[in-house]
Amino acid sequence: MFCFQCEQTSRVDGVAGCHSAKGVCGKDETTADLQDVLIYQIKGLGQYSARLHKLGQPDRAADSFIMYGLFTTLTNVNFNRAVFMELSAEAARIRDRLRGAYEAASAKAGEAPEQLAGPARFEPSETLPGLLAQANVASVRAGAEVVGEDVVGLRALVLYGLKGVAAYAHHAEVLGRAKNEIYAGIAHALDFLATDPVDITALLEEALALGHLNYAVMETLDAANTGNFGTPAPTSVRTTPVAGKAILVSGHDLRDLHNILEATKDKGISVYTHGEMLPAHGYPKLHAYPHLAGNYGGAWQNQQTEFAAFPGPIVMTSNCLIEPQAGYRNRIFTAGPVGWPGIRHIKNDDYAQVVQAALAMPGFAETAPEQSILVGFARDTVLSVAGTVVDAVKSGAIKHFFLIGGCDGAAPGRNYYTDFADHAPKDTMVLTLGCGKYRFNSHDFGTIGGLPRLLDVGQCNDTYSAIQIALALANAFECGVNDLPLSLVVSWFEQKAAAVLLTLLALGVRNVRLGPSLPAFLTPTLLNVLVEKFGVLPITTADADIAASLNRQAA
Amino acid sequence: MVVTLVTRDAVRLEFPCAPGQDVMAAAEAAGLYPPSMCHEGSCGLCQARVVDGAYEMGRHSESALPAGPGGVLLCRCLPHGDLTVELPCTDAQVGRHKVPVREAAIEAMGPAGAGAVALTLRLKPDAERGMAADFIPGQYMELTIPGMEIRRAYSLANLPNWDGRLDFIIRLVPGGAFSTWLSERAAVGDALNVRGPLGHFVLDEASPRPRCLVGGGCGMAPILSMLRHMVDFQDPQPVHLIYGANREEELLPEEEIAALRASLPQLGVMLSVWHPGPGWGGFAGTAAQALEAYLANAAETPDIYVCGPPKMLDAVTAVARARGVPEGQIFAERVQS
Repeated sequence: MFCFQCEQTSRVDGVAGCHSAKGVCGKDETTADLQDVLIYQIKGLGQYSARLHKLGQPDRAADSFIMYGLFTTLTNVNFNRAVFMELSAEAARIRDRLRGAYEAASAKAGEAPEQLAGPARFEPSETLPGLLAQANVASVRAGAEVVGEDVVGLRALVLYGLKGVAAYAHHAEVLGRAKNEIYAGIAHALDFLATDPVDITALLEEALALGHLNYAVMETLDAANTGNFGTPAPTSVRTTPVAGKAILVSGHDLRDLHNILEATKDKGISVYTHGEMLPAHGYPKLHAYPHLAGNYGGAWQNQQTEFAAFPGPIVMTSNCLIEPQAGYRNRIFTAGPVGWPGIRHIKNDDYAQVVQAALAMPGFAETAPEQSILVGFARDTVLSVAGTVVDAVKSGAIKHFFLIGGCDGAAPGRNYYTDFADHAPKDTMVLTLGCGKYRFNSHDFGTIGGLPRLLDVGQCNDTYSAIQIALALANAFECGVNDLPLSLVVSWFEQKAAAVLLTLLALGVRNVRLGPSLPAFLTPTLLNVLVEKFGVLPITTADADIAASLNRQAA
Repeated sequence: MVVTLVTRDAVRLEFPCAPGQDVMAAAEAAGLYPPSMCHEGSCGLCQARVVDGAYEMGRHSESALPAGPGGVLLCRCLPHGDLTVELPCTDAQVGRHKVPVREAAIEAMGPAGAGAVALTLRLKPDAERGMAADFIPGQYMELTIPGMEIRRAYSLANLPNWDGRLDFIIRLVPGGAFSTWLSERAAVGDALNVRGPLGHFVLDEASPRPRCLVGGGCGMAPILSMLRHMVDFQDPQPVHLIYGANREEELLPEEEIAALRASLPQLGVMLSVWHPGPGWGGFAGTAAQALEAYLANAAETPDIYVCGPPKMLDAVTAVARARGVPEGQIFAERVQS
């Protein structure tokens, strides 16, 4: 096993990466190796898909499988080796179909089909020991001794960014929004990786191309969410429970939440959001369900305590899932790409067992005194008051904007984000998104220029919204985004954040402060590139970084 | 050595810690579960601060360690003497695995093979758990007859469910206090107190190996629960059942086994009777002997789950060890004869 894709990867004794019987996230070495094999096979599918796209004959089902398959390998998504064995078998069947389709399409176009090498030719063993024996070729460090660590690191950056792209694209796809350019872009990246690229420039270009692709994906996901559930509006969300039966929904997938709301209508069950589901309340069509009662708990890393205390069933629709404890094993359900051995998985959007569990469990005994937070400050909301904002900047009421967001996690260094938000001067505005918001979103930020001083823009994919806000402000002030009094303070943990980072870099956004630690797959050379060429900054202390941000603006 | 954890809301939790034991392990041994995740010094969830006492830190990721004097990860903190440690979390966030005690009523009683009773209890709804009958297949409950000092542990034969239903297979022990009460005095509607779930005899869901389940007498209850769980999840893992009894009459009705085979296609079944009657066509011998025969032909060393009376357990585990089954692949649960 070797994996270094997430922020909490093992960094013991100077070795970065999880390489023992179990990763820090909880996935065991067998599952990790099977994930590597699946990714290898998916590269093979990409080789065929890229060529089929060029021939104008893409296979939609295969492209959809590619996105779903990549999603299952994100951090804290799927830990069930049985699932990976099935996906591996399915990938082999799809590869065979694509090969046939490619040969036929080539013939039709009067071209000779290429004899594809590498992952496209991979024949997975039918037994588990066999698959594990094949896993070496699929390791993220394969070839390191020949190509060097910088190339390995860049290939990893491309792969991990691609995983984030695939996850977002999957969320959009299940909501009915898909674009050929997205499928083609993903296939292209996979085809590129299948060539075992060694050219640093080409690898960097591919990483930035993925950043651009992710921008299109986030735009599509934004359209999918708003198209299905309306334009987010400022909404007050209860963060304390009401009496009665309860279901908790976590992860990112708004379609699953909507299905759960429909399945629980008029049953006397309250539905609570958790973690990255919080922004759901801002969507009018979801907020319209009277039994969408509030938000419960904080970010993903506290789930073992929070889920144990929750008096009803829990549905996990995407990451982050960590090991279910005995106290709630029988009442947590996975959906979509998520899985854990022995934990019930929702199939065909059938939530009957979840409803049964909710009705059988006691629910909350009392309605707690109300506490609430505001959500729903996506681009339309913020831009609807653009005039007010611009005036406030011109008058000096708002001196600076901080976007403090991204993933949360358990690392002690993440209290930096609490300190940053709390110590940001009162004449600065704080925008946030992603579950990193839980480091400070229960604090009182007051108002500024007549507006709430803390604006929750949404989920991590709503970085698209934040970018639109920045572009509109840049337009209003007739300057570039990098000249705005705007500082991005990004916390990362997994691969969607990697994709978002690539988008920011691709768009030329500079001076992004990245933390709490820097990706283990980026060598000192690569980190230097990020710093020198793209202006990425590691975090230091909150006060020093606040001062530096304000000074940069002043400079 | 004594470790004192002080929570953010000033609750002091004291427990012993042995030399070489890390604070997290010592806390869990004392029934306290501070927030934790990776248990290997890398995720940072068990961060804390030592405010008094000497310690050393085992291998860990630097980025997971809280900055400043006394910053530790509980899972890697090895005390050198008494220690006082401040936790960033509240007392409510420190888990305690309280074993629930609940009231139930007898719903049904009936024969389960010669000399055994199938007992169904229905839990009364509970403020904390509602109607949940919560356990992991393979676990057991302690049943107490209210007003009497009689407490017995029995494994659950059914699956966790939302209807409060608990199914047991009770071997009647001639002259036994619980058996006597059950056969002579218990009636539908009678109350029993139920403490549990308890026990660690559960399936290793993450193991890729085939399973061999060995049950005898009322040791079949947890085995049945495990098999029913596999049916419920349509688990494709190869699984073989060795079901041993002294005499044919003690075996559960054929329909039970047939139903399992029907819904779990890969299930292999070996019935073994130690003292068979003349008409017996199955394996004649003990469960241990049946296991010997099975392992002799097994392509892959399985995970072995065995539940039964002490002698049977000893014989079965001896056969398994002799056949090279590693200790980590032998799961055993003892029941009374």
